[in-house]
Amino acid sequence: MIELKKISKSFGRHRVLQDISLSVKTGEVVVILGPSGSGKTTLLRCVNYLEKPASGEIAVGDFKMDCAQAKRGDILRLRRKTAMVFQQYNLFRHKTALENVMEALLVVKKMPAAEARSRSVALLEKVGLGGKLDEYPSRLSGGQQQRVGIARALALEPEVILFDEPTSALDPELVGEVLEVIRDIAREGITMIVVTHEMGFARDVANRVVFMDGGVVVEEGTPDDVFQHPKEERTKQFLRRITPEANWVI
Amino acid sequence: MQLDPSFIWTAFWQILRAIPTTLSITAVSVLLGFAIGTVTALVRLYRVPVLSQMASAYVTFIRGTPMLTHLLLIYFGLPMLIDGLAESLGWSFRSVSIPMIGFAYISFSITAGAYMSEVVRAGMQAVDRGQVEAAHSVGMTSFQALRRISFPQALAAALPNLANSVIGMLHGSTLAFAVSVVDINAQAQIVASTNWKFFEAYLAAALIFWGLTVLIERAAALIEKRVGAYNRGGVA
Ligand SMILES: Nc1ncnc2c1ncn2[C@@H]1O[C@H](COP(=O)(O)OP(=O)(O)O)[C@@H](O)[C@H]1O
Ligand SMILES: [Mg+2]
Repeated sequence: MIELKKISKSFGRHRVLQDISLSVKTGEVVVILGPSGSGKTTLLRCVNYLEKPASGEIAVGDFKMDCAQAKRGDILRLRRKTAMVFQQYNLFRHKTALENVMEALLVVKKMPAAEARSRSVALLEKVGLGGKLDEYPSRLSGGQQQRVGIARALALEPEVILFDEPTSALDPELVGEVLEVIRDIAREGITMIVVTHEMGFARDVANRVVFMDGGVVVEEGTPDDVFQHPKEERTKQFLRRITPEANWVI
Repeated sequence: MQLDPSFIWTAFWQILRAIPTTLSITAVSVLLGFAIGTVTALVRLYRVPVLSQMASAYVTFIRGTPMLTHLLLIYFGLPMLIDGLAESLGWSFRSVSIPMIGFAYISFSITAGAYMSEVVRAGMQAVDRGQVEAAHSVGMTSFQALRRISFPQALAAALPNLANSVIGMLHGSTLAFAVSVVDINAQAQIVASTNWKFFEAYLAAALIFWGLTVLIERAAALIEKRVGAYNRGGVA
């Protein structure tokens, strides 16, 4: 269970997040939609504490933290309970696929090497990369790199995985393989918050859809609610723009 | 005066015995300089208050003054400092017991530190921020991210420039003659002083330096090939 309460964040005088509250149940998949610049990335980064929220509260499982007074130890604990899949993959470039996944197990969890290895191999097999264990990122396609990124995020068994437009840096023909992997792990009941512009995928995988604009949550509901019967004008506008065919599909 | 080719050969053998001195000055200044340079670079990159200003001043001062000047400043300044301290604190140690080569070690390490800090800094800046964020996102501390992720890649990126620094220090070590250390160059002078065949002797010294330089370049290329293996992509 993830609970965000009144998260605010500014860059200079620009208020990027304004008192955002969001709660995600265990096993739930929440998709965040919204136009570019609406603060989606910043929100995910706050949950992982890659950005320091100005105020608000973050609760993950039994751990709770007041963002304004976060201590070093709190930040590390929060980060160990959350994992991030980045738009640009951000793999460790001097490490092989296997080493990328093992790294946190060895360094953060202090797991014995043999155990870390067997767990990492299993994760890479799960994302379809059992044959690429010893390849460096520079020798993997974007889709393969992102699947390593997903395996790396799964390794620490976080309470929630945050996906920030995981397929938007990919060539179109590689998007499918990554979405497939995300679908699979969603079915396993892993809690996820996903920012994406892949509407078909969002509809498919989401238990709940949150529409953000201008640093606030404008509307949220089931995929049916938000996609078929949006209440707010801003949501309707956004959906019309991003899926022109929606007018006649619905 | 005529060239005496056979004396080049004679001198060559006699100069060889100074190689350990030259190499020890090079090795000490490179190793200590690397340590100093790394700390200096990190202090500046992480903008540690006070220390980073001191680090910047150190780097600009050293890079803005000749290496020979560093040696002379250390040679004349350090004894004053040590003896002054020793006196006021009642130590029995006096600067006269510092061997001449010690001044070269100290001063050239300080020189190398400033140059190498720039090399390390450039290497660190070559590592993209996203990887450090990824390390943080899985719960690594800043120190773990530095030690495991950014620093190894910074070193790999800096290797060609580090190799140049090593060669620079090898050649620069000839300045140690100013404090009466007998390195390769000084040995050449000594060898020639009996018969005045300086050209032959210095030519022999040049050949030795050239050989050492080529060895360093080869070693660096080998290390680069191994360490940089991860950068050679097949797929985009
Ligand atoms: N590091 C930063 N410094 C300054 N402004 C930023 C920074 N990161 C994001 N912003 C601004 O915050 C706003 C929200 O950005 P972001 O969270 O990336 O939106 P989204 O992911 O929804 O496109 C944008 O206006 C962006 O320009
Ligand atoms: Mg974004």
